[in-house]
Amino acid sequence: VTLETTAPDSPEHRRGIFTQELLDRCISCGFCLPACPTYGLTRVETSSPRGRINLMRAIETGALDDDDPTVVEESSFCLGCRACEPVCPAGVQYGALLEEWRDHAWTGRRRPLKLRALLWAVRARWRVRLMGLPRRHARGRGDGPSLMLGCFERALYPKVSRAAKRVAPELSVPAGQGCCGALHAHNGELERGTAMARALGEQLPGTIVTTSGGCAAHLASVVGPERVKELSQWLAERDGPNGAAPATQLRIGLQDSCHLRNGLGVWKEPRALIARHGEYVELPSAGACCGAAGTYAILRPEDSARVLDRHLDEIEAADLDAIVVVNPGCYRQLEQGIKRRNLRTRVVHIAELMAERS
Amino acid sequence: MATATGTATDLRPALAAVVGDEHVRDDAGALLTFSTDATPLQRGRPDVVVFPASTEEVAAVIRLANERRVPVIPRGSGTNLSAGTVPHRGGIVLVLTRMNRLIEVDPGDLVAVCEPGVRTIELAQAAAAEGLLFPPDPGRHTTATIGGSGGLRALKYGVTRDYVLGVEAVLGSGEVIRSGGRLVKDVAGYDLRRLLCGSEGTLAVMTEITLRLMPAPEEAGTGMAYFKNLADAARAVSKILSSGVLPVTLEFLDRVCIDAVEGYSNIGLDRKAGALLIFGQDGDRHSIDRDMRRMAEACEAEGASAITIAQSEEEAAGVLQARRAVLPALSRLEPLTILEDATVPRSRIAEMVGRIQEIAQRHGLTIGTFGHAGDGNLHPTVVLDPADEAAVHRAHEAFAEIFAEAIAMDGTITGEHGVGLVKLEHLERQLGAEHVALLRRIKTAFDPNGILNPGKLGS
Repeated sequence: VTLETTAPDSPEHRRGIFTQELLDRCISCGFCLPACPTYGLTRVETSSPRGRINLMRAIETGALDDDDPTVVEESSFCLGCRACEPVCPAGVQYGALLEEWRDHAWTGRRRPLKLRALLWAVRARWRVRLMGLPRRHARGRGDGPSLMLGCFERALYPKVSRAAKRVAPELSVPAGQGCCGALHAHNGELERGTAMARALGEQLPGTIVTTSGGCAAHLASVVGPERVKELSQWLAERDGPNGAAPATQLRIGLQDSCHLRNGLGVWKEPRALIARHGEYVELPSAGACCGAAGTYAILRPEDSARVLDRHLDEIEAADLDAIVVVNPGCYRQLEQGIKRRNLRTRVVHIAELMAERS
Repeated sequence: MATATGTATDLRPALAAVVGDEHVRDDAGALLTFSTDATPLQRGRPDVVVFPASTEEVAAVIRLANERRVPVIPRGSGTNLSAGTVPHRGGIVLVLTRMNRLIEVDPGDLVAVCEPGVRTIELAQAAAAEGLLFPPDPGRHTTATIGGSGGLRALKYGVTRDYVLGVEAVLGSGEVIRSGGRLVKDVAGYDLRRLLCGSEGTLAVMTEITLRLMPAPEEAGTGMAYFKNLADAARAVSKILSSGVLPVTLEFLDRVCIDAVEGYSNIGLDRKAGALLIFGQDGDRHSIDRDMRRMAEACEAEGASAITIAQSEEEAAGVLQARRAVLPALSRLEPLTILEDATVPRSRIAEMVGRIQEIAQRHGLTIGTFGHAGDGNLHPTVVLDPADEAAVHRAHEAFAEIFAEAIAMDGTITGEHGVGLVKLEHLERQLGAEHVALLRRIKTAFDPNGILNPGKLGS
């Protein structure tokens, strides 16, 4: 028997696309497979985190080309939900690897056209402000932490920041905020995404409270987790535990924000807040990606809908009165899915749910 | 990378005619990701990957492979640790993840019937929903599909093969047989179902499996004890087993593992201790309390320095956390982690771990050993930097010596991971030439053209 022992490639064979320590961490155990939504859809190794890391290693050493169709497809098929991270025994930072991958792969004409338009729209502060002008997002000063407005939330769901301000009038809403750059960092503009987060961190003084789980994780990765709090996380710290009986008899579920849960480890807090308001129902897929995944729903609508399907099945089976979201992308995704299926469940942001009580 | 066999030119259309075009992959990216399993440093490029959905499709693929004389390498989730699913001679990787139907759980006959792509945890959860237990609990139960596996509860409950009552299988010849069924007692014919368990895809491809279930225990208890050295811990294990207790959990960590776990997860382990023993029992509250007390007494009698019995579920989870954190902790020490499973009679665990440490020092390697104290199944784990080729070579030498020690102590080179590619060179030393020749004749009876996972067990 001839044993094929391939020693990992020496440093001179590396192209420098990936940070070596990040890529070396994976021990190929396969614990990530069942956590991955795209592996769940396909049950094909190539569409799993371990498979994709092997693809990354191949482009790093030149074993596969940047233009290899499978490499190109998998860099975009991945939701970037990071559900593989909490289950990884070796501590692979898959989200960071994916950012480096797309930073390399999605340059110039390889970047999808829709994406170019989107990222351009939120890149400049004045354009972000323009998006929010016709809509009435929260405004005004307070003596508490800064409330971050986000770019898409202020355009699509300005009611969320208003609800947050009602729940916590002490929040301060500085005018002229830009975008945090999460979309850029996740879609091939790592440097710009980091710079935008840093700039926002300088604009907003002190603790930054955000109603978007995705923004929270990106901002925290740049300016530090001690300065960034997602709303439910901040409310939990402000109010402490509350043993009061639920205010209503509503049956309420939650859709976790992937990066809030998998990146920042925040998932208990929104559940505790919901339990104060009604009967909290844990859906089997509450912690799994709903398919919104930042720009994914726009770039890959069919796959996004396939990922969403089992969530809608569960919402329907549980006959929920409301499903709570903690991220604007999930808000839009669930609203559209529920409308398509004509379900009675309404979608509310955690800020809106809390505002209903007050 | 191993070269492909070159017989693949028109394999794709022939396979597509069987399973449908979308279930055949031969793009460079897919072939690359199916070149490896969970074994470090081992890879071999297949010619094509196929995903059948039924027994008929599996049989058609095997018949095709016989006509073309192309290797077929069956694969589940790819959690193998001995390169058993690495296609080192190219050929067709036959992936069974689409065959993931859990056909039934029958509380009356106490059986479950499933396809091979069902994951162990899915089966266990389906059984639990009926108040039943599927005891085999391999470390990778969330990922691993139903295959030969041992795990953490083997001392009391046995391993997967002890629960296989019946199989439907496609032989290497392409014929389909059934062996056993829903019966606990069935001696009609040779015990082929047990022969197929652990045959590592070299004789047949199982396409349906009937498994025995048990009533689920009411509760579980967990405790831990520190010892000055492993010899004391090993004596405590013997004392526990001779005190009339058959524990569900009996796991140990050596000094290297304790140090690594504490360095990684800061859960308050005593880094000065030479060994940590984790013990547990399940059943009803009364027998759990009695057995936990007896086990604590046995530890105390052998000089345990601190004994804790968990008083709540959180405390129990904390104790088990120490065991679960071993692999993560060791793997963080260096980029490459090689996990082995040499096994010795339990009376010789301390002696074996001592030898492993001598070997590690002699070769200048870091080897942590943890494992299943109750059944002598050890996991000597080496961590190193793969860029250091000399260290990779020394690790290879060290494991050869570890396997030789295990054989000399009436042990085995593999307790649960399988022989695969990486331990084939050590097999004959354990079994002897006549035994290995018999394996070859058995292999020929099932797989006359030698197409199933060639170059591994029985080749």
